[in-house]
Amino acid sequence: MEQLLSGYFVYSFAFLFVFIALATILHMQFSLTGIVNFGIVGFWAFGMYSCALLLLKLHIPFVPAVLLASVLTGIVSLLLGRIILNLDNQAVLVGTLAFATIIEYLVTTEKWLTNGVMGLGTINFPFDIGRMTLFVYFLIILAITVLLLLYVSRLRLSPFGRLLLSIKDNESLSQSLGKPTFRQKLVFFTFTSAVIGLFGALTAPLYNCIFPRMIGPGVTFSIWIALMLGGRKRLFGGLIGVLATIGLFEFLIETVVPIPAEYAEMVPNFKFAAYGLTLMLVLMFRPLGILGEEGRGTKYGE
Amino acid sequence: MAFSTFVTSSLVIGLLEAAPLVLAAIGFTLIFRLNGFINVAYSENITLGAYFAVVFNSILGLNFYASILPAALLSGAFSVLTYLVVFRPAFNRGVGKTEMIILSVGLSFFVRYGSRLIFGNDLFNFDFVNPSYLSVFGIGITSIQLTCIGLVLIISIGLYILIYRTNYGEMTRALADNEQLAMVSGINPTRFSILIWFIAGTAGGLAGIFYGAFSFVSSSLGWNLILIVIMVTIVGGIGSVRGALIASACAGIVASAITLVSKPLYGQVALLLIFIAILKLRKGRA
Amino acid sequence: MGNKKLHLKNVIKRFGGRKVVDVKDLTFGTCGIEGLIGPNGAGKTTLINLITRKINMDSGQVIFYPGSEAIDISKKSLDEIARLGLVRTNQVIQDFESLSIRDSLLLSLATSKYEKFYDVFKEGKLREGTKQEIEKYLDFFHFADPDGHALSAGEKKLLDLVRCLLLKPKFLLMDEPTTGLPQDQIEKVIAIMRKKTAEEGMSIVIVEHDLDLIWGVSENVHFMAEGEILIQGPPEEIRKNKTVINKYMGESYAQGR
Repeated sequence: MEQLLSGYFVYSFAFLFVFIALATILHMQFSLTGIVNFGIVGFWAFGMYSCALLLLKLHIPFVPAVLLASVLTGIVSLLLGRIILNLDNQAVLVGTLAFATIIEYLVTTEKWLTNGVMGLGTINFPFDIGRMTLFVYFLIILAITVLLLLYVSRLRLSPFGRLLLSIKDNESLSQSLGKPTFRQKLVFFTFTSAVIGLFGALTAPLYNCIFPRMIGPGVTFSIWIALMLGGRKRLFGGLIGVLATIGLFEFLIETVVPIPAEYAEMVPNFKFAAYGLTLMLVLMFRPLGILGEEGRGTKYGE
Repeated sequence: MAFSTFVTSSLVIGLLEAAPLVLAAIGFTLIFRLNGFINVAYSENITLGAYFAVVFNSILGLNFYASILPAALLSGAFSVLTYLVVFRPAFNRGVGKTEMIILSVGLSFFVRYGSRLIFGNDLFNFDFVNPSYLSVFGIGITSIQLTCIGLVLIISIGLYILIYRTNYGEMTRALADNEQLAMVSGINPTRFSILIWFIAGTAGGLAGIFYGAFSFVSSSLGWNLILIVIMVTIVGGIGSVRGALIASACAGIVASAITLVSKPLYGQVALLLIFIAILKLRKGRA
Repeated sequence: MGNKKLHLKNVIKRFGGRKVVDVKDLTFGTCGIEGLIGPNGAGKTTLINLITRKINMDSGQVIFYPGSEAIDISKKSLDEIARLGLVRTNQVIQDFESLSIRDSLLLSLATSKYEKFYDVFKEGKLREGTKQEIEKYLDFFHFADPDGHALSAGEKKLLDLVRCLLLKPKFLLMDEPTTGLPQDQIEKVIAIMRKKTAEEGMSIVIVEHDLDLIWGVSENVHFMAEGEILIQGPPEEIRKNKTVINKYMGESYAQGR
């Protein structure tokens, strides 16, 4: 029983940290650069499915497959970004949402490639050390997430980070100071989307077998609400938010509170309805989330 | 198939499929012009219209045509409810335009998954008495589709007159651009806004009813459409009833033309590419 | 004296069918500091927006001479033009709400060498290298709280100007830079303008409603009304010109300037 539980906990934590990473990347794209990415799941799914296909169809070893999947995601986001990033916020929102919708659609209909709803598998862990395999894999995900957080913490204090904020606040003023804002936005968007793809690739073995139903808009939405609730301006906003939404829900409801079988189907509905309500309440009453405004020591010039 | 058949089929089917879209786009564009943001929760307006009609039709046993009016009115009421309970208070709290869109996404998820809690995850169908058929250019059109087109025409013309012949259009623009000034000119913002949201809600509900009638009713009915409603509205011009009509008709025709020769997916992709292209053209001309 | 020139040929811009700018042949920059005056709505800010490509012209050509070679900037982007050395200050106050005053200045001074997404360790070096210059400007204009935000409209205008000056422009277009400034700050602005043109050969075109300032500081004045440049010449002639008096100075004098 204990082993089962600990396996389950490790498994959940691994997912949790993937989502923490995604929420932090959204913080980079939205809060630092002003890119309203409503299609996060699309990049994540692209990385996940590319990696799976590279592993299963081309038999490429794990690490190169993950890296290649990340690069491919970067390339796709570069093409998308070139087209939409010099248009206004609404266009970026619609463009990224449409991108994710198209990816979901493609994965479902192109059965010859992805097996559609029958699922693509089996994607194994890259190493096998018996009982500790999952735990070590989780440590790898944890390590990469921590690296990401370190990068973001330094980014916010660096010249490039300052440039991003200037683009978010007043892009044309930034341009009038000679900054090549479109190019820099595009570079950053490509880079961060490639990292989303990287985490997508890393998630594949956790799922073991991947299905189109995993890559719907619910994922994007969960990340958004996590970031908004945690605190969109804060480095740890994604972390706190994911723990408070996905962590709370998956852990409490799924583990601690037993749900009778008849209601099991309704749990996801309840979850998303609650997320929706929470998002509305946060935006209306505490727009900067749990962590609120910047603290001392995180502002420039200190 | 022969080219002429392809063209007529695309046109007829395209226009038929576009008819509910026109209704949705008109309602959506009114709210967009009045309040200046993309109301993603409008998707649930569409879905609930269908659900309300199902309640009247399948559960309460009313004839399909008799269910249309009460369902549409309830949709209008729902729309006004969201305005008074969610959006208006949000505006008053100073929520910005981009945040309003995110807020509406939250509302959309809340209503959609809340509906699933109430109605269940199942699909519904309307109970029709066998519909009669009409043949147009060799393509069968049901009486339901005809009713839909009829309603689209009535509403479009009605709104067109309302906006371009009376001063309702100016009032919308005035209220949208400067609420204080509009109030001074004698427009009651709350009352006028409620009216517009009611009309928009009704249009959306009707769109949902007919989409549901053409296929089936599920909780993601509206959500599946909202993206194309947004695109068509932006292309047609925010606040333009005429633009919404033309853009929807074109979208329907392009989508059906592509579906006739390949997959519906490519229709989606094509529409997205056209949408982006039009936005870029407009930007270049500014 | 300024040898950086701007040459405009047949620059036309229409808004809703009406010509708001129609400049047939105009050269800026033959003298160090030049004034651009005219009544409200004459199209002065629009002209600056067209030159810097914040908005697109319907037709025409703008040629910039940062040195001896001619560069056609009619189709270049906003940021390219700024990098070439043609910079403008803003009439309507513009700022970055997330950035403190010091941040704004560091932003101006950071070149692309520092702004790389993959290198997040450059802040220290940037601050070291720019410390002197930033302190010089902060002291000169007495910013109250350099690590906070510019609070008054005057401070924001000065910040806008300093951001531009830190770019070391070859040609500076100033759009009503002294509006809302107290007299002592206005004098500092004038002092800096004179210094830059004399010592660094910067060309300046200043748009102003404060005519005494214009007469005092410009060597050449252009008068604009209804989208066209009607008269050009040295201040002594312009202030006596009948058309200028009728179309413009009548209003200003009525406003008690």
